[in-house]
Amino acid sequence: MRNQLEFEVFGSYALFSDPVTKIGGEKFSYQVPTYQSIKGIVESIYWKPSLLWYIDEVRIMNPIQTESKGVRPIDYTKGGNTLAYYTYLRNPRYQVRCHFEFNPHRKDLIYDHNEHKHHNIAKRALQAGGRRDIFLGSRECQGYVEPCVFGEGKGFYDEVPEVDFGLMVHGISYPDETGKKERETRLWRAKMQYGVIRFIRPEECTLVRKTGEGFMKSFDSTNMESVDVLYEEWFPRGGGSE
Amino acid sequence: MSWLATLNQTYENHAHVIGQFEKKANDREYALIPVSHTTQSAHIEVILDGQGNFITAKVIDKSEASTIIPCTEASASRTSAPVPHPLFDKLIYVAGDYTRYCGEGKGTPHADYMEQLLSWCESPAAHPKVKSVYTYLSKGTLMADLIREKVLWVDEQEKLIEKWTPTLEEKYGERPEIFKVIASDQSAAFVRFAVQIPGEAESRLWRDPSVQQSFVQFYDRLLSERDLCYVTGEHLPYADKHASRIRNSADKSKLISANDTSGFTFRGRFRNSRDAVSISYEVSQKAHNALKWLIDRQGFIVDGKVFLVWGPDRLEVPDPFGDTFSLYQDEEEASGDLAHKEYANQIRRAIGGYRFDGDYKAKVIIMVLDAATPGRMSIVYYRDLNKELFLDRLQQWHETCLWLHRYRKDGENRTISFLGAPSSRDIAFAAYGPRASDKIVKVLIERMLPSIIDGAKIPLDIVRSAVNRASNPVGMEEWEWEKTLSITCALVNKTYEKEGFTVGLDTANKDRSYLFGRMLAIADVLERRALGRDEKRATNAIRYMNAFAQRPGRTWTIIQSNLQPYQARMGTDAGYYNRLLDEVGSQLKAEHFTDRPLSGLYLLGFYSQRHELYKSKKEKDSEAEQINENYEMGEDVQ
Repeated sequence: MRNQLEFEVFGSYALFSDPVTKIGGEKFSYQVPTYQSIKGIVESIYWKPSLLWYIDEVRIMNPIQTESKGVRPIDYTKGGNTLAYYTYLRNPRYQVRCHFEFNPHRKDLIYDHNEHKHHNIAKRALQAGGRRDIFLGSRECQGYVEPCVFGEGKGFYDEVPEVDFGLMVHGISYPDETGKKERETRLWRAKMQYGVIRFIRPEECTLVRKTGEGFMKSFDSTNMESVDVLYEEWFPRGGGSE
Repeated sequence: MSWLATLNQTYENHAHVIGQFEKKANDREYALIPVSHTTQSAHIEVILDGQGNFITAKVIDKSEASTIIPCTEASASRTSAPVPHPLFDKLIYVAGDYTRYCGEGKGTPHADYMEQLLSWCESPAAHPKVKSVYTYLSKGTLMADLIREKVLWVDEQEKLIEKWTPTLEEKYGERPEIFKVIASDQSAAFVRFAVQIPGEAESRLWRDPSVQQSFVQFYDRLLSERDLCYVTGEHLPYADKHASRIRNSADKSKLISANDTSGFTFRGRFRNSRDAVSISYEVSQKAHNALKWLIDRQGFIVDGKVFLVWGPDRLEVPDPFGDTFSLYQDEEEASGDLAHKEYANQIRRAIGGYRFDGDYKAKVIIMVLDAATPGRMSIVYYRDLNKELFLDRLQQWHETCLWLHRYRKDGENRTISFLGAPSSRDIAFAAYGPRASDKIVKVLIERMLPSIIDGAKIPLDIVRSAVNRASNPVGMEEWEWEKTLSITCALVNKTYEKEGFTVGLDTANKDRSYLFGRMLAIADVLERRALGRDEKRATNAIRYMNAFAQRPGRTWTIIQSNLQPYQARMGTDAGYYNRLLDEVGSQLKAEHFTDRPLSGLYLLGFYSQRHELYKSKKEKDSEAEQINENYEMGEDVQ
C-alpha cells in the first residue's frame, strides 16, 4: 500500500484501559489494543498536522495474559494517595501495518503535501525507535518499536480461526480529523482472525457518540515548517548523500 | 468478549432459572434474580385476601427470610435519605400508622411509598395482587393489625418496645419471635406480602413471576433516557447507578462507579462519566445479577478476593484450584494408589466428564475480583479460554504436578492415599506454613493460575520455600511434615517436568541430589526398623535433614556414624540396607561428594526410595506381574 509502515511494538506491560472500569479508578485493560492506542504509537514515531495515520491491521504475537498490580494513585481532594488495583496485559507484542494519508480538512497545509518525503522521514523515524516515547496504552507502560515485515514470525494465535472481543472503543475523532466542531467516541466490534485484527476506517464506524466539543487548531506557514523547507535547510544543494 | 458482555450472556443463557431458589451447602438460599430486583432479608410476612383485607401475619424464620424484592435504581443504592422500594419495605415506609407507635422520622417515607405504589397500580402493567396490597395499605392500619396479631409488641404507652428485658419476660412469658430474628429494634422490621386468592397456587408475591414481570414492565416505562450501550451497541435506557453488594449482602464496593471528583479519572477529555462510557440499565442489571449468582453458586472467597470459574453455557467446570482427588468426587471407582498409566486414564475420564459433543466453541471464564479500598472493586484477573483448551491444560496440570499424597480423608474419616496434584490452597500452606495469613494465601492462589492454565513454570520462590519447609521435619508434627513433603515433591516434579520423574523409584538416575536423597531414606528406614514399632522418636536422618540439604557431604558422615549402633543392633537383618547403601553410594561420583547444597530433587529421591522400602512384598510381586503383562501386550512401561 502507498505510504505504508510496518513495525513491531512490544513492552513488559500494556494497559489499554476499558472505559467501563477507568471511570471508577480501578483500571482494567482491554484484551487487545484499540485503534486509537496504536494510532498514538504511530504518531509518536512520526506525525505532522498535515497527515493522518490509518491503522490497517494488528497482529497479536504473544498470548493475552493479565497481571494485576497494587498501585497508589494520587487522591486529588484529600491529598496523599489512595489504593487501587490496575490490571495490565503482560508481555505484549504486536505487529502493526499502517499508512498515512493527507488530512483533507487541512486545506491550509497543502504546501506540506510532499508524500515521498514524509514517507521517508517516517521510515527513518521508525528505524530510530520513534521521535517520541512510545507507550502501550498508559504512560507507565513503556514500549519499543522496531521495523518488521508484517506477518513474519510465529504468533500465538496463528492457528485460532476467530476470537470475538465484542464491542470495544475504536477511537476518538477529533475536530481536525472530521471537520466538525465536536469530539466523538467511536465503537466497533473487534474480531481477531488467525491472530490478526483488521481495523475498519474511522469513518466506517457506525456506532458513534458525541462526547465533547473542540475546535481545530489552525496551522499555516507561520507556525509550521514544511518538509521542503526543512529539507532545503538540511541539504542545501539537494542532498546528494542520500 | 468483554467481561460485562460475557456475564450478560450467562444471564440470558440461564433465563429459565430466574427467581428459583437453590440451597448452598451451608443451607443459605441464593437465586438468579430478575432485572430490577434485589434480595433482602424480610422479618414479617403479612397475608391478605384478594380484596385487600388483612388475614394474618407472622414472623419469618431466618432460614426462609431471603426475599426477592423489586427495586428502583435509586432505592437499590439508598443510604441515609429515605427512598422507598416499590413493593416490600421496612415498616417506616409501608405502615400508615407508623408515627403513632414510633414517633416522627425524617421526610415523608410512607407518602412517598404510597405514591410510587399507586403509580404502579395505575399503570397498564399493574397486577391485581399488587392492587390489593395498595388497597390494604391505604387503610393505614398495618401496625395496629400486627400488634393485634402479636407480631409486634407495645408497652403501656402504646409505643413499640425497643428491647426485650427480663422484667418484660416475667410479665409476658417467653421472648417473642420478632426479637429473635431482628438485630436492632422492632421498628426496623422488613415486611413482605402474600395475597391469597382462591384457585391460585402461588400466594407469595415475592415468588410470583407474574408480579416480577409486572414490575419490570412498569419500571421499563419509567426509564426514558436512552443512550448508546457500550456492551450491546444498541440505544437502550441508560443506567445511572450500578449494583453494589456483589460479594455479599454487606459489601458496599462496586465494579462500576465514577470517581472523577477525587480520582480525576477522565477529566479533560470528558465532561461527565456518561461521556466517558454509557451502559444500559438492562445489561448492568443482568450482568451484576449473574455475577452475584455465580459467586454464590460456585465462587470461593479468600480474604475478600473472589475466585470464580464458570462456563457461560454450561456452568459446571472442573475447579482449577482443587486437588486431583476432588476431581474424582463424583467418580465411583475413585481409588488412590494407582499405577501411572491407570492414573492418566482416570484423569482423562474425570475431565472427560466435562467435555460434551458439539460444544467445541464453548468457553470457560476465569475471573478474580478484589477490592483495594472498601468502595471500589477491581477485576484483578480475567481469562476467556476455549473450553477444550482449558480442559487440556487442566489435564496436563494434573498429569505433571503429581505425587503420592496421604493427607486426604474419605467420608468415613479414613486416611486415603491418592496420586495427583495438590490444591492451590494446600500449596500455599506447604510453602508458607499452616499459619499463613489469608492475605498471603490469596496472592499465591492467583499466582498459581498461569502454571495451572497456561502450563507456565511454578514461580521459583514458591518451590524454594516449600523445599525449605519440607527439609525441616523437626519443626512440625509428623502428619504436617508428610503433607508438606508430598506437596513439595509434586511441585519439584512439576519443576523438573521434562525429566519425567514418577513416584516409583528410578534406580538409573545418577543425579547427585537424587542419590543423596535416596541414601537419606535408606538411613531413615534402617534406623526406624531398628527402633521398632514402640519407639516414636525421630531418626537421625530426619533430625539432620535440614543440615543434610545444606551440607550433604559433611552431614552424611555424621548420619552414618550415628547409624552404626543400629546396624550393630540389627545384626544380619541390616544386611539388605547396608548393601543398598553401598550400591547407591557407589553411584555417587567422588567429585559429587561435597558440601554443595542439594536441589529439590533430593526430596524426590528420598520419597521414592522410602516408598520403595516400605512396600510390602505382595505389592512388589503384583507390580512385577503388571510389568510383565504390559511387556507381553507390547506396551511401554512407565
